[in-house]
Amino acid sequence: MNELVLTLGWLGIYAPMALGAAASAIGCSIAGMASIGAMTETDGGYGRFVGVSAFPSTMVIYGIVIMFTLNRDVTPENAGGLFGIGILSGIALMYCGIWQGRACAAAINATKEKPEIFGLALAPAAIIEGFGVFAFVFALVISAGIS
Amino acid sequence: MSDPDAYISLISSLPGSERLFVAKQPPLSRLRLDRRLTALKPEDARVLKVLEHALNWSDYDMDVTDAQAIQRCKEALRDIPQPTLRKLFLERMDLRTVVAALRLRNQGGSPPVGAYGVGRWSRHIPANWSDPSFRLETPMPWIKEARQLLDAEDPLGLERLLLSVSHNQLKRHAARHLFDFEAVAIYVLIWNIFDRWAQSNAQDAAKRFEKLAKQAMAGAADIDFEGVSA
Repeated sequence: MNELVLTLGWLGIYAPMALGAAASAIGCSIAGMASIGAMTETDGGYGRFVGVSAFPSTMVIYGIVIMFTLNRDVTPENAGGLFGIGILSGIALMYCGIWQGRACAAAINATKEKPEIFGLALAPAAIIEGFGVFAFVFALVISAGIS
Repeated sequence: MSDPDAYISLISSLPGSERLFVAKQPPLSRLRLDRRLTALKPEDARVLKVLEHALNWSDYDMDVTDAQAIQRCKEALRDIPQPTLRKLFLERMDLRTVVAALRLRNQGGSPPVGAYGVGRWSRHIPANWSDPSFRLETPMPWIKEARQLLDAEDPLGLERLLLSVSHNQLKRHAARHLFDFEAVAIYVLIWNIFDRWAQSNAQDAAKRFEKLAKQAMAGAADIDFEGVSA
């Protein structure tokens, strides 16, 4: 039984990093595909498209920081806490990354027609980033209570 | 439900559908559109072909009968699995059924008994034949204007009204689809409307040119061309 609990603890430590990496990969690929499509239709502003498509890469950074914060000796007493915080923050980061990628793709698709709305079109992606930051910060705060 | 991210690159590589109607020059030719559509999966390309084949008037022979057209629509409906595309297809069929009934009544016809249309209103219309709008003002608020244009014998105005109604229907569905196959199919259907719109404008321009030319020639009857009186 202890082995299973310890395994869950280790899973919780690595989950934010793994799920954050998956989120960034999916999100960046979604936004990246939109920027490639937009480049074939427009005559300029390619750098902006590529820059926007890199937005979801922040999720893996949050995941790495959470992983380092959770990283400690895993004991039967702290394994449950590590598992809960790690898995749930990882899932939150993953959803934020995927949907941020979609929001970025929509922004790229819209700004290829109307470059003047570039800033406003990024607002949904920025708001989603805010939710990712919430998941990140409060994972750090809560993890301070785990022995 | 299609994969929501299936055609991100394809959709992003197409000019916005709104731009089609404001541009002086077509921003995307059919040739270029077809080249972009090669990115579709074979099964999606087949569905799109079926949809266009059933909706485009240019794909119908001049002597096609009502029964043949209805049969083609029913066959198309069997081959379209996406709920949104089925819905917009049926909406277009409803529109065509109502317009067919309006034209029939305008020519003094009696309520149709056999096959004349497809969709949920095909039985409702004969039952309300004497009502000016077939009691369909609520689901189809454009019907009154269509009837007036038909009475005024303004086919171009009617064509534009119907294109505008179809365009609005497509835009309503497009709002729920960003990068999936439905979004691609709706884009192509909007492109087809734009194409028809552009053609109707060209016809309008040709008519106006002919009228002006006649007026000018009438006034020029007495002009002396190179010393030779007309």
